[in-house]
Amino acid sequence: MGQASIFQAPHRSPRAASLLLSASLLASSLVACGNSARDDRAGGTGPLPIGAAIALTGNASVIGQDQRIGLELARDHFQGNGPALELTIEDGGSDEGTATNAFRSLISADVVALIGPSLSQQAFAVDPIADRAGIPVIGPSNTATGIPEIGPFVSRVSAPVAQVAPLSIAAALRLNPKIRSAAVFYAQDDAYSTSESKIFQQALIDRNLKPVAVIRTSVSDTDFQSQITETLRRNPDLIVISGLPSDGGNLVRQLRELGFKGTLVAGNGMNSPNIYSICQRFCDGLLIAQAYSPESTTPINRAFVAAYTKARGGAVPPQFSAQAFAAYQVIAETLSSLQVSLPAGATLAALPRAELRRRLNTALLKGRYQTPLGEIRFTPEGEVIQKQFYVAQVRMNPDGRSGRFQLLPTVPTP
Amino acid sequence: MIDSTLLVQMLLGALLGLSVYLPLACGQLSLATPGFYAIGGTLAALLSTRVRALGGGESASGSGYPITSLLLEMLLAAVLCGVLANGIGAVVLRLRGIYLTIATIALVEILRVVSLNLTITGGAVGIFAIPQPFDQPAGYALFTLGLLLLVCWLCQRLAVTRPGLAMAAIRDDEIAAASSGIAIERWKRLAFVLSALVAGVCGVVAAHFLNAWNPRMGNFDASITTLAFVVFGGSRTWIGPVVGGLALTALPELLRPVGDLRLIVFGLVILLGPSLFPQGLITPELLANVARRLPLPLQQSLRLEKVRAQGEGKP
Amino acid sequence: MDTLLQILINGISTGAVYGLVALGYTLVFSVLGVINFAHGAVFTLGAYLTYLLLGGAVGANGLLAGLHLPFALPFWAALPIAGLLTALVSLGVEASAFRPLRRQQAEPLLYLITSLGAGVILVNLLQILLGAEGYSLPTTALGSLPTTLSLAGAQLRTVQLVLLLVAAVVLAVLSVWLEGSRSGKALQAVSEDPTTARLLGIDSDAMIRLGFAVSGFLAGIAGGLVSLSLSISGPYFGISYGLKALGVLVLGGLGSVPGAVLAGLIVGCAEALVPAEWSGYRDAIAYAFLFGVLLLRPQGLLGRPQISKV
Repeated sequence: MGQASIFQAPHRSPRAASLLLSASLLASSLVACGNSARDDRAGGTGPLPIGAAIALTGNASVIGQDQRIGLELARDHFQGNGPALELTIEDGGSDEGTATNAFRSLISADVVALIGPSLSQQAFAVDPIADRAGIPVIGPSNTATGIPEIGPFVSRVSAPVAQVAPLSIAAALRLNPKIRSAAVFYAQDDAYSTSESKIFQQALIDRNLKPVAVIRTSVSDTDFQSQITETLRRNPDLIVISGLPSDGGNLVRQLRELGFKGTLVAGNGMNSPNIYSICQRFCDGLLIAQAYSPESTTPINRAFVAAYTKARGGAVPPQFSAQAFAAYQVIAETLSSLQVSLPAGATLAALPRAELRRRLNTALLKGRYQTPLGEIRFTPEGEVIQKQFYVAQVRMNPDGRSGRFQLLPTVPTP
Repeated sequence: MIDSTLLVQMLLGALLGLSVYLPLACGQLSLATPGFYAIGGTLAALLSTRVRALGGGESASGSGYPITSLLLEMLLAAVLCGVLANGIGAVVLRLRGIYLTIATIALVEILRVVSLNLTITGGAVGIFAIPQPFDQPAGYALFTLGLLLLVCWLCQRLAVTRPGLAMAAIRDDEIAAASSGIAIERWKRLAFVLSALVAGVCGVVAAHFLNAWNPRMGNFDASITTLAFVVFGGSRTWIGPVVGGLALTALPELLRPVGDLRLIVFGLVILLGPSLFPQGLITPELLANVARRLPLPLQQSLRLEKVRAQGEGKP
Repeated sequence: MDTLLQILINGISTGAVYGLVALGYTLVFSVLGVINFAHGAVFTLGAYLTYLLLGGAVGANGLLAGLHLPFALPFWAALPIAGLLTALVSLGVEASAFRPLRRQQAEPLLYLITSLGAGVILVNLLQILLGAEGYSLPTTALGSLPTTLSLAGAQLRTVQLVLLLVAAVVLAVLSVWLEGSRSGKALQAVSEDPTTARLLGIDSDAMIRLGFAVSGFLAGIAGGLVSLSLSISGPYFGISYGLKALGVLVLGGLGSVPGAVLAGLIVGCAEALVPAEWSGYRDAIAYAFLFGVLLLRPQGLLGRPQISKV
């Protein structure tokens, strides 16, 4: 017969093959069902389960890891204020398939509400699943256009790019009124970047700054040499970047190294101290519009910042952690107020789960919350209305390794 | 409550495994499967969201999409993929071995980048809110199961009829086959086209199942994973890829409790698998063993004596 | 369009990276006839090791949060040491993913899968231990050299020039070693015909291990150089390089060292020629180019035409 080779002709054994096929299909069904059948916790006592599906692996894992911390801090903060809650965090990965499985896994654990997923890209795929199951899902970091519109049970605490992005352009023009031309870079294989860049480009056009170059990159790109040299030849005064911390950070560094002296504006995806280690001293001066500032002095934010710096050895909380915290807060506070509204002796846990979810969804959309992000509430559609936005400028320390997002004078929403 | 989502994913994995297996059965390692999968999915996404006549806009939640429309999409995807595969095959199948593999990888990448850049496919955001023919995953599971059984039956028929025998001969020794008058070109192309058909149809079902579609659905990662199905499951009979597809799709999900180590365990499995089972899990010898171990009356009723004999090397 | 000189400079600097990564593939392919899919992971590992050896600290998200070596080497020392470490890891990959299959005389396809498994394990170990955030080598790693150089109006970042020079040196040393030294010639003999080589008294197994070690070394320093020029965007950043380099490998001709470098430069230049508006299609054009060459000249630019003996 000779050596083992896959290129040898198979024997034909139809019956045995069919037998094996049926056996393996049967085994598969058992596996699939066994994997997902869990205790049915509808009704009775016990803590109310809250599920979170965030990106703990894959390209977006930096975001997910920030969110995990925010969620855990929120869980600890709201413990004891209201009905007992139990947080389960599943890995939603950075692709739609993993997120789908995470959501399904949490749904079969009969969660009362869902937080996630991390990426807008994933949200378009998985939010409909939660919506169809009648489970309220709050997006902590989905900023692309159209997400709350996915369904009545879908909402988000992360302000959409349409609101936040133009603020940084306005700030750039305020700081440097002599800007005459602009160029735009965005990661075309990412839903958030593409979405945000459209907003940026429109904001530029609205100010008579039609971009001299619109460059499409990829989130996995790291080398922008040729795109940069060609863009710089057209002499833009302002360059606007939509990307994630790694590709965006690289782009910023290379732009500066290749001699760009003008103003740089970055989008929401780069709203993270993770850019410091990538562009280092070249990050200095970068303008970013933010939905969160650790320097805000509201009581809840001070408590959040204190808890975060304690847990992370002095580091300052990033936006993604604050938004995750806020998402949990919305759910916890709404459940608290629902509990209060019940007749004496009744518990939320005793309600039929579907009924509880419905009430939760209706109530949370009507509430007003003092979160680390400032005061937020929702439109009937589930879109967040945030009172306060911030534009920050990155200021790097002399060592080039650490820095801060220094707040520019605040801009309230019109 | 039975959650059949994983089951559907496993069945789709098995189908994709078969798609990779078909050219391999003819001696060619083609990794074009994800490309045709993407074409099928994109076609389904576009048709169901844009062509009102197919009944996609009937309800706000997108449910109740007629099954006839689904079948129509599958037919169109099959035709499109078949025509494309025929054309591409004429050009690409002249290459042999690793060169063919790399050429197919290049094609898949080109397709992915082009569809990322086009507005009609929705770019990076992709197309979402794809109408649902089935309300529950259980519906998809049954449908996909039917599809899988159909394709398995086709593979079995192929194996025992002329095209399949020709392909097996080409797989064994291409030059010897050519010199005995077998039309190499033709059968290679057929295998390639069949592979594309299966992948395309699979893509249609997946697009509806996943509810959203974007250009990242068919990429190099998918090539490697589907290849692993075949290599792990067994590449000498069609049942190998099915078992491989079912098992390796389930594995990362089953390993969820292991948490962060999940992917490492998956890596270990595909690292050690080929050394322990060089021909994959399901080999013809295994099938013969299975046949042999059944009680004799059962063997006789299933007419398995021939299988035993083959496995034992007797004429 | 950019000036021709700028395009050339852009192309060569991108291409040098591809060529360097492709060289590692070439070495393994030439001795074993298979493609080592763990190469991209070893490349990534080299980048991380260089970062750590430069005294960098592990970020807050991995198990080893905050870890940093008690010393910081200068770049010129860190790079080769990282390379030696990755050479060792590459030997480990050979022992776990390739040797068991070789004993069974398994065929090329299976090595793809096992090496992929090894790669997945490596990358995920990196993620667990070091976290998923990006790291960048300190921009002061090269001391007080200016950040950009200007050559007749064209711009080049100094780090890229360093990369080019090191790649050129490495290539020269490699070629000299392969052609001039006993072990280099023995390696070539094994790649031509392992059985005959063994009959001539060459220990094929040792040669294969040597091939892997050198390949690992190349991957490691390529990773270190790229992380100097660009940055480490995360444990997955080696994957796209690995894929491109695979195409470069085939374009140059499987098993041909000068072919890998030449093909790398060509693909780099082809990408640089894409106008900025179409930069979204850059990857597609690179692959289309590869595809075209494969159809016209399947053995690649400098490869040996495959003759199948009947």
